[in-house]
Amino acid sequence: MTFLMITGRTVNQGATVENKTSAGYAEETSTCFMHEFDMLELGLADQDAVRVAGPCGEVVMRAVASDEVEMGTVFVPYGPYANHIIAADTHSTGMPDFKSHEVEIEPTDEEPKTVHELMEELGGLAYDR
Amino acid sequence: MIVKDVVCPFCGCLCDDIEVDVAENRVVAVTNACELGTKKLMGEKRMKNPILRDGDTWKDITYDEAIRYTVDMLTHAERPLLYGWSGTHGEAQCVGVHMAELVRGVIDNTSSVCHGPSILAIQEVGHPGCTLGVVKNRADLVIYWGANPIDAHPRHLSRYTRYADGFFLENAFRDRKVIVMDVRKTETANIADEFVQIKPGGDYAVLSALRAIVRGKEDIVPRTVAGVTREQLIRVVDLCKAAKFGAVYFGLGLTMTRGKYKNVRNAIELVSELNRHTKFTISAMRGHYNVYGSNEVNTWMTGYPFGIDFSRGIAFYNPGETTAVDILARKECDAALIVGSDPAAHFPRSCLKHLADIPVVQLDPYPNATTAFCNVQIPVAVTGIDAEGTAYRMDGVPIRTRKVLSTSYPSDEEVLSRIYREMQEAQAV
Repeated sequence: MTFLMITGRTVNQGATVENKTSAGYAEETSTCFMHEFDMLELGLADQDAVRVAGPCGEVVMRAVASDEVEMGTVFVPYGPYANHIIAADTHSTGMPDFKSHEVEIEPTDEEPKTVHELMEELGGLAYDR
Repeated sequence: MIVKDVVCPFCGCLCDDIEVDVAENRVVAVTNACELGTKKLMGEKRMKNPILRDGDTWKDITYDEAIRYTVDMLTHAERPLLYGWSGTHGEAQCVGVHMAELVRGVIDNTSSVCHGPSILAIQEVGHPGCTLGVVKNRADLVIYWGANPIDAHPRHLSRYTRYADGFFLENAFRDRKVIVMDVRKTETANIADEFVQIKPGGDYAVLSALRAIVRGKEDIVPRTVAGVTREQLIRVVDLCKAAKFGAVYFGLGLTMTRGKYKNVRNAIELVSELNRHTKFTISAMRGHYNVYGSNEVNTWMTGYPFGIDFSRGIAFYNPGETTAVDILARKECDAALIVGSDPAAHFPRSCLKHLADIPVVQLDPYPNATTAFCNVQIPVAVTGIDAEGTAYRMDGVPIRTRKVLSTSYPSDEEVLSRIYREMQEAQAV
């Protein structure tokens, strides 16, 4: 199903943003907040894994029901998971489309990757000491 | 020991009434700060010493070695990118601009992915703003547009708007109206007197409709605009016109969505229209505690607020061309110095692929997502915790942040000044 993905700040994202190697940060920024009816349509229960595909790739997140989002829209806290699929085009402003991306969402059996795994996939080397 | 009147180093509110309990040179308790500020002030897991990537492992190195690596990297680069700057003090930002000029690099700050578009709008039509204190004491109407302060600036409502007592308001909670315009029914929307739910991407149309109604042209407004009924739009305009002093605060809901700076321009022009009837101001909800400072410092030193390119020998500015996301996506820079930010967590993936291919040095107290792409990371003191320095609040008021701990970490300014001095010496040889 096609959804509009909006990214933004949450308290939990802000509280863990200085500790990005923590499980709390990974959990919060890999959460895909969805309308309950959309979850029903996709056969999803809370915390089920979903594959979210954008124009630049795909990433696995966990679906969580939220009454803050409208049907057809999903909300993902700012972080490496949403940015994994956002396009870098800024339309001559310097600003990518962080709040207006169309994505395809489907259930999956895969587990969300860790922040370290996401970075290593792109050629980085995790540091955790 | 209790340290009073500490300035919170998290968001643009720069709350200056924090009390920090320090025992054995550690922060053990924080009073008055929100959850975000408390977590930052009590932050742990700081990097102990500079690290160098050596193939598939990390090696501990000294500050001298780390500084020498950075000097070599910057002086040998053809087109270095110096990015970040919002999580550090103004004094360090000044050194950063000098460094960029010396190596003919590009210096950009995190506003290019937050309120950069707002600045483009302000450059077009100006900015009728005011300080937070003026809003607290005078505003009887506050509009949050595309902003969710309960999550992003948790004390904005209690210090300046919804729950703040004001000098000219007898009963602030009763006398001050709050309108929230957003695509999501957020926690902030739940405490509003009037919530206007806009269809995503519809902000520009709603702003234009409101401007038409303020001008007395409500007959030409369609029955609904981006999901908002004409009746509700008229009610919003009536509330605005009835206010003695209105304040609009806008967030990334306007700058990150389609239209970007044109949305902000339309919002500023709505405020201009309202100023024909009553007093109205508009201000941006700035995120990083000193992102406003990076715009100020860059502007007084170069004439431009972000995305400044020194490759021609003079300052050149063209957002979309000289901004970090674009430069990385085009694989244009051949080295990057990152200070006080984490682009690996907040930039699109294609930008990170290029960071993996070029030498990267980061100054940051904590390991973060960008650490993975670093060749060298240099841990520094945190401004507002173990270093002092100047930061600009979201309304443009410069505030001196305090130092509550004494650690052996050097400040950003100390490390950058040394790098700059050695770069000058290297160039003089």
